[in-house]
Amino acid sequence: MSARTSFFSLVWQRLKSWEGFLIVILALVFVLNSLVAPNYLSVGNQINLFILNIERIIVAITMTFLIINGEIDLSAPSIMGLAACVTAYLFNAGTDFGTALLIAMSIGLACGLFNGFWIAIVGLNSLVVTLAMLISYRGLARVFLEDRSISQFPGWFNFLGQKNLVGPFPLALIIFFLLLIFAVIVLHYSGFGRKVFVIGNNKDVARYSGVKVPRVKIILYIASGLVSALAGLLLAARLGAVRGDLALGFELDIITMVLLGGVSIFGGSGSLYGVFLSIMIVLNIRNGLSLANYSGHVQTAVIGILLIGSVLIPNLAGEVRVKLNRRRQIGRSQDTAAEI
Amino acid sequence: MEAPVLEMKNISKRFDMTQALDNVSLALHSGQIHALVGENGAGKSTLIKIMTGVYRPDQGEVLLDGKPVVVHNSQQAQALGIAAIYQEPMVYPDLNVAENIFISHRDRGPIVRWGRMYKDAEAILAKLDVKLDVRMAARGLTLAAQQAVEIAKAISLNVRILIMDEPTASLSAHEVVQLFKLVRSLRNQGVAVLFIGHRLEEVLDIADRITVLRDGKWISSRPREEASAEKVIRDMVGREVSEFFAKGASQRGELLMSVRNLGKEGVFQGIDFDVYRGEVLGFAGLIGSHRTDVGLALFGVEPADQGEILLQGRPHKIRSPQEALRLGIAYATEDRRKLGLTMPMSIASNISLPMLPRYLNGLGLIRRRAEVDTAEEFRKRLSIRTPSVMDSVERLSGGNQQKVMLSKWLNADPKLLIFDEPTRGIDVGAKAEVHHMISDLAQQGLAVILISSDLPEVLAMSDRILVMREGRQMGIFDHAEATQEMLMTAAMGQANPMAVTITSAR
Amino acid sequence: MNFLIRRFRPEQIRELFLVFLIFLVVVFFSIEIEGYFNARFVNRLSTSVVVVAILAVGQTLVFLTRNFDLSVGSIVGVTAYYVGWQLWHHPEIPPMAAVLLAIGYGMLMGSINGLLVAYGRVPSIITTIGTLAIYRSFLVESTHAVPITTNNLPDWIVDLPTVSLFGVGVLEFRALFAIMVLVVIVFQFMLNYLPFGRRLYAIGSNPDAARVAGFPAQRIVFMAFLLSGGLAGLAGFIFLSRFGNISVLAGIGLEFASIAAVVVGGVSNMGGSGTVVGAFLGALLIDLLENSLFRWQVISEFWRDAILGMLILAAVAIDHVVIGRLRTIWARAGLQMKTEEQQDKPEVESHVG
Repeated sequence: MSARTSFFSLVWQRLKSWEGFLIVILALVFVLNSLVAPNYLSVGNQINLFILNIERIIVAITMTFLIINGEIDLSAPSIMGLAACVTAYLFNAGTDFGTALLIAMSIGLACGLFNGFWIAIVGLNSLVVTLAMLISYRGLARVFLEDRSISQFPGWFNFLGQKNLVGPFPLALIIFFLLLIFAVIVLHYSGFGRKVFVIGNNKDVARYSGVKVPRVKIILYIASGLVSALAGLLLAARLGAVRGDLALGFELDIITMVLLGGVSIFGGSGSLYGVFLSIMIVLNIRNGLSLANYSGHVQTAVIGILLIGSVLIPNLAGEVRVKLNRRRQIGRSQDTAAEI
Repeated sequence: MEAPVLEMKNISKRFDMTQALDNVSLALHSGQIHALVGENGAGKSTLIKIMTGVYRPDQGEVLLDGKPVVVHNSQQAQALGIAAIYQEPMVYPDLNVAENIFISHRDRGPIVRWGRMYKDAEAILAKLDVKLDVRMAARGLTLAAQQAVEIAKAISLNVRILIMDEPTASLSAHEVVQLFKLVRSLRNQGVAVLFIGHRLEEVLDIADRITVLRDGKWISSRPREEASAEKVIRDMVGREVSEFFAKGASQRGELLMSVRNLGKEGVFQGIDFDVYRGEVLGFAGLIGSHRTDVGLALFGVEPADQGEILLQGRPHKIRSPQEALRLGIAYATEDRRKLGLTMPMSIASNISLPMLPRYLNGLGLIRRRAEVDTAEEFRKRLSIRTPSVMDSVERLSGGNQQKVMLSKWLNADPKLLIFDEPTRGIDVGAKAEVHHMISDLAQQGLAVILISSDLPEVLAMSDRILVMREGRQMGIFDHAEATQEMLMTAAMGQANPMAVTITSAR
Repeated sequence: MNFLIRRFRPEQIRELFLVFLIFLVVVFFSIEIEGYFNARFVNRLSTSVVVVAILAVGQTLVFLTRNFDLSVGSIVGVTAYYVGWQLWHHPEIPPMAAVLLAIGYGMLMGSINGLLVAYGRVPSIITTIGTLAIYRSFLVESTHAVPITTNNLPDWIVDLPTVSLFGVGVLEFRALFAIMVLVVIVFQFMLNYLPFGRRLYAIGSNPDAARVAGFPAQRIVFMAFLLSGGLAGLAGFIFLSRFGNISVLAGIGLEFASIAAVVVGGVSNMGGSGTVVGAFLGALLIDLLENSLFRWQVISEFWRDAILGMLILAAVAIDHVVIGRLRTIWARAGLQMKTEEQQDKPEVESHVG
């Protein structure tokens, strides 16, 4: 075996075919979109797509870690909103903007720690806990801003959010790529990443093997909280305004991107390469449909169909194969019965 | 001889490349306990799955009361009077006992009548002479009680053919006695019983007839009177092999660990022993004696809250597996599928896991080459049969998985290795290998604690034997003086706060 | 004590605890707010709890099988809109037919969920996240965002929330509330006394055993989603009646409310345990808190959601710690009773192989 072979040989096989599937879908989407808009396939267009959705994509990175770990964080968009709202509120009340930003990030950390405490240490179910906190953090965000919208931000903040920093890339996109590279190295090549997979596969085996399971989970939730807070600030900068419902409903898209990328909802398997491909698919589907004048709801529905189909079709294919085998067997034993 | 109630005639079944069954025939008669033995992979479970409708045979036929029948699914099997009980009882933990018994009935009417269900359940349990509270949730039952519920379920469905697949694997000797009483009573009521087991003395105890399979082929079928352990083993393995590896004389070394008055609230208390390098200390007792809990306390998974653990004279509080590993203690769990190995991962990744920091470079990234090298070392040392150490452990046989798990712990350079039921569910051939390994480890200077419910195994392998009952220590016996009767008496004796120690002074 | 352990399961203690909590909340707010607890409040509460309570009943069925139904919000929106549309253009449709129509729509959507989860083996989280979007988009696209308004609806449905079956003094037993009570009673009965209901518990409690035992597990899970959809349809009808003005965004977020109610009500997300009555009490507690916080001047209404989320968290945490302990005590007590009984029997002679 060459040293290049991945250490998850069985999982890797499966993933290789999943990513192949995603590449085919992506190609299909590109083709279809080109029919709608002839100059569709351009790098500039892709960059633009990323920029318009960059905050969701950034959070998808930490969400990937969590789902592979066998957990989930439904509260991420609410943390995004809370961080942005607190910043806006403090700044509006006279606090120095830089300080307000720092406070927002610490709130992200605190939320992550809070989530992690109940899930990793007390041992509650993460779906239910983060669902409760999705409601709670959003509610807190509304406490600060109530019904108002705040949009007077310092010039440099808006600049960073909306203008390009290096070539055609704004700050958010640079942050995304840096984060992605870092995440790939950690998840697929480091000891910590191995632990993430093992815990997601079987929490008890990990524990019995000396892995500090609560510590890993808390680290993941803190990371999710911090990254969500950062994403919330980036969104505020890009939009130039903050309201209590900032990032409302993002969780569906984020989770869809991760699951479509081949990450199993049960934990223990998946890769960031797949998630990246699925992000491209989701963004381009939305874009193409939007160019063809379909509403956001239709876009979400198409992505939903794709998500369901990506699980359903392999299942059905497997079952057809089993039924064919069975028919072959019965045929044979019918023959032998006749002989006897 | 009356006609068989169920007959498998010339059954063959193939899965991809493996011929699981090759022209196998088996006849079950009512009122007879027929034992089916064979190594893992001999084809026993495939045969059962054909009987219960999970698989269809490629060739051959199944005759029920002399008439050919094709079993399509487990529902139909149930209707035909075929029931199966497996090693892990299939109870519904949230439902109560009565409901567990009757849940699969289809003919109890459109409305559930609780009062009547409780009464009917009590009647069935009375017939089996089992005392259980039918209103209690099944979650609270012991494994043996759950099995009794399964048997009650089968009886309620008027079972004619009862298949028991390794039912004793998780039971203590005492519970096995009770179970066999049940099974014999079933037989006397005319049920045909197919019993599959790995413990030969049990098979010889319970069976009226013994059939041996090997590599998917029928080898022999004898009435009990004509069978003996040697004959059966020879048929199973195809060569002469003694069932247990007789342990070589031990060179007892220095004192490694002393445990004084170890206890955990509500679980166990008053555990007191020494363990030396180079010796095998057996932990015997009935299921429910909490020996595993002591092991988990020593390994830091469920730490003790009273008492002391002294390693080379110094006391330590072991609060986590990392601490235990650092102190040189390793623990191989009894349930290797669920707790010992990460199934989809490769052999190499499993082996390196407890010592992962050793395989990381300065940046925290994994050094794959080093991992593979370590895995190759162990592959040679323990003769793990696999095409590549990068393969997933899922594909390995039970015995080889056990070896991977052992490698994992040996890699941690332990001074004390705790084995918890290492040969449970493993066939005779692999069992001997594991015993050999344990003996070797002791001879190399490791201290070994062997937790086992298999009394002959404990007796054959241990230098000294600690007996526990219901969380309390009943005594420590020296190998030379201990007999199965002594151990059993201690294991079942009255709970006595003052542990009685019967050893030669050393 | 033994009698208690024999007769009451931890789930029933949980229900009593919820009743106690409701009582506490009422007492607390009665002290804090003047003129809080009166007949008008109770009447209003009895109407506002209905939609979520009915959704919670359906969600309970799904939870019992170890699944989730996140599409109920969209089902409510679609049925509310479509029934509204039908009544707008065919006001002669009798009420019963309208109700059946709503339930029918709901069952149709629920059956799609059921097919995908039970037969397609797509995990329910994925399925219902998808159908949530698909049903909603279907609604938006096919209606071109024309809202239903109360002007267009026949009077009987607009007035339905105020219709009461009978009154005890000023307290009214409203029709909508009666529907909900009927639903709760019927489904609680089903779960306790019908084989189908018991099989729901079995499948969630031990799916492997259910499979080996030959339960038509797929059919049962399908039915759970079908019923959940049907109940969501009924809730949609009531939603239409309560609000009258239905936009294409109607019902968004209701899935979270139903899950919150169910979780607070003690239904385990691991399947196998929980009751419809518990889910109803959960819905009631949440609705009570929402309505009470709304009237509490001390803190702004914007704290409502924050507190609600914390309440759900508290419910789950308490469940985990307390019920877990209770279960161990129950199990240990049961074991003890068994051991006591066994010790009365003569000691068995030692047997060795």
